Parts: sequence; structure tokens; C-alpha cells
Amino acid sequence: MVSILKRSLAIISILIIGYWLAQGLAGVPFGQDKMLVGHYYLQHVKEQTGAVNAVTAIVVNYRGFDTLGEVTVLFIASTGVGALLWRKKRERTAKTEGSVVLTTGVELLFPFIVMFGAYIFIHGHLTPGGGFPGGATIATAFLLLYMAFTIYEVPHKAFEKTEGIAGMSYVLVGLIGLAIGGYFLFDWIWQTWQWGTNNLGRLFSGGFIPVIYTIIGIKVGTELSGIVDNMLKEEVRE
Amino acid sequence: MEEASKVSRYLYTLIILFLIWLALTASLDEQELIFGFVLSAIVAAITYPIFTTRGLANLHPKRVAYAIAYAPYFLWAMIMANLDVAYRVLHPKRPIRPGIVHCKTILKTNPGKLSLANSITLTPGTITLDVDGDNYFIHWIWVPDEVLHAETEEEHVEKASENITRPFEKFLKVIFG
Repeated sequence: MVSILKRSLAIISILIIGYWLAQGLAGVPFGQDKMLVGHYYLQHVKEQTGAVNAVTAIVVNYRGFDTLGEVTVLFIASTGVGALLWRKKRERTAKTEGSVVLTTGVELLFPFIVMFGAYIFIHGHLTPGGGFPGGATIATAFLLLYMAFTIYEVPHKAFEKTEGIAGMSYVLVGLIGLAIGGYFLFDWIWQTWQWGTNNLGRLFSGGFIPVIYTIIGIKVGTELSGIVDNMLKEEVRE
Repeated sequence: MEEASKVSRYLYTLIILFLIWLALTASLDEQELIFGFVLSAIVAAITYPIFTTRGLANLHPKRVAYAIAYAPYFLWAMIMANLDVAYRVLHPKRPIRPGIVHCKTILKTNPGKLSLANSITLTPGTITLDVDGDNYFIHWIWVPDEVLHAETEEEHVEKASENITRPFEKFLKVIFG
């Protein structure tokens, strides 16, 4: 009886909130040109950043601080999981090894997935994607190894160091910009060196976007693998 | 199956990854080629211990030729399989006689067993349920009479293997050994 009352109350309040939101959105015209800043981005993205993909140019270049913030959030999430699940002795406790179909399939897929992840983040300035999807794809490869093998563990020492170095490199690229151009995350490769200005749309262009996306891809890949590792392990009592 | 040397395994992974890169980028721009090669070298260095145990021996011309020949053979079997299942679904009497049968394979390597299991799953009304050593347990949509009425276990395995695994094994034996 009480649960029916609770449910109907919940449904009614959600309907009210939905109606309220719909009313608010009804004033926004659909499919009409409402871009104010957007036009500036679309018109200047090529000569200012060298990226053909306007989204990555905005995310990494025009609004690079947001991306740095996102990377920080992910780092905190990873550290938080590590801190919450911290135990002195933790091990993989899985008992059942996958069948030969699963393990061999994973063995054969692993390099392809890593390669594809790298392909995604290196082409961030040309095609959809970028550091975050690329890094997540790489982490998927490690997740597959975890699911197929009972004893597999990522190389912790190497992964944690890589993660830290990648994070520092991102800030370092920004600081070099500060030294050369006068503000943090200034795109010195494009603006000062003019490197790649003559071959827009090919791989070696796009200023520091491919560099930063490589760093982010490595960082996200190692970080998510670390989270998976933390969550899969269980405490072992002696 | 003994392992090939590290160099051979590394080179094999490098070659395969570079081919994948060529397929992914679909471009012969020199920048893409240079970077793709560097990237393949890095990724291969990380992944080669997991990827392969036999290294460059996989690229033996006979194996590659058999692999190329296997593609149309397998596709044809797959098309016929799907038509067969469509027939069973559409037929008013729904002629199915499902059962789990036991097959044995002559393949020794893990990649070979994987491809056999996948080939079986994708072709005529058969699904691989489990692989244990050289034993395959297969769900069959129409268990034929000679398997159903087999007198002994050996006869059952023999008849089932003849129907299910043999047609693929003659190719896979050469490709994977």
C-alpha cells in the first residue's frame, strides 16, 4: 500500500518536473541559427589552430582549461577508487579460467584494440574522437585481458609512472606556451613555430592538438586500466 | 608447440599491425606511413608476447594461400547455413531435431581451435558450446540419423566429426597446424 503511494507520488512529481522543463525548452527555437560564438569558431578554426575537426580545436585549444579539468577529474576518480579500495593484501580471486575460445580470442584481439585506440587519439584533429575515446578503447583491451585470464595483472609500477608522466607532460606543454606566448596552454607549435601550416588536413598538422591528445590518450588508457584493476581485486585473508 | 624466437614474434606482430594501420587509414600519405610504422613498432613492443607464439612462421606462403582460399569457402558455407536455417524457420512443420553432440578435432594450436569453433558457430545450424582440449561440444539444430542412432561413443564422435569439423579442418590444419 505504502509502496503504491510512494510510486504514484514519484511518478506525479517526475511528470511535473518534465512538464516544467518542456515549457522552458518550448521557447528555444529548434533548427534555427542561434550560434553567436559558434560562427567565430567555424570561420577561424583552420587558420588559428590548424585542426580540421572543430570540436577538438575547441576542446583542446580554445577551451583547453576545461580539458585539463576533465583530466584532473579522471585522475581524482582513479585515486579515489584506489584510496577507497585500499587493502594491504589484495589479489585476483577469480577461479574459472575462460575457455580456449575466449582466451585465444582475447590474445588475438588485444594488439588490434590497442592499435585502434592509438589510431583514434592520434587522428583527433582530423576525425571524430580524440584522447578520451582512444584512451577508453585502450583500457578496454586491458579489461578483456582481465576478464579472460584469472591471473593477469597490469604492470602497476610502469602504468602509474606513465600516468603521472603523461599528466605532467600536459601541464608542461601548457607551461611552455606560457613561456613563449604569454598565456597558459598557448599553442606554440602552431602559432610560434608555424609547424605544419602548409599541410592542413594531413597527419602532421593541427598544432599541439595531436601532442596533447596523445598525452591524454595514454593517461586515460592507463588510468581506466588502473580503476579496473582496483575494482577486480579482492581482499585476501591469511 | 614450441615458441618462435622473440625477434620473429615481434616482427610478425609489427607486420600485422602495420597492415591494420594501412587498412584503417586507407591512405598512402607518407606522413601516415611514417607515423603508422612508428606506432606499430611501439604497440608491437607492448603486445607481441600476448599476440603470437609462432611469429613469422605464420606468414609461410602456403599458409597465406590457404587462408585466402578459406575465405570464399567459408563465406559460401555461411550463406548456405543461413538459407538452411531460414528454411527451417519458415517451414510450416518446423523441422528441427536439436541435440548436443561430441566431436574431436585434429587441430593442435589455440588459434586453430578458436577459428574452428567460430567457423562451426557461423555455419549450418551448429553452435559451439564448449571446447575442452580436443573435444568440441556442439549444439546441432538437426541431428542426423547416423549420429542419433550411433551404437558406441566412438562411432558417435566419428560420425559427428565427419559432418561438422572435417570440412573446415582440411583448411585450418594447414593454416594453423
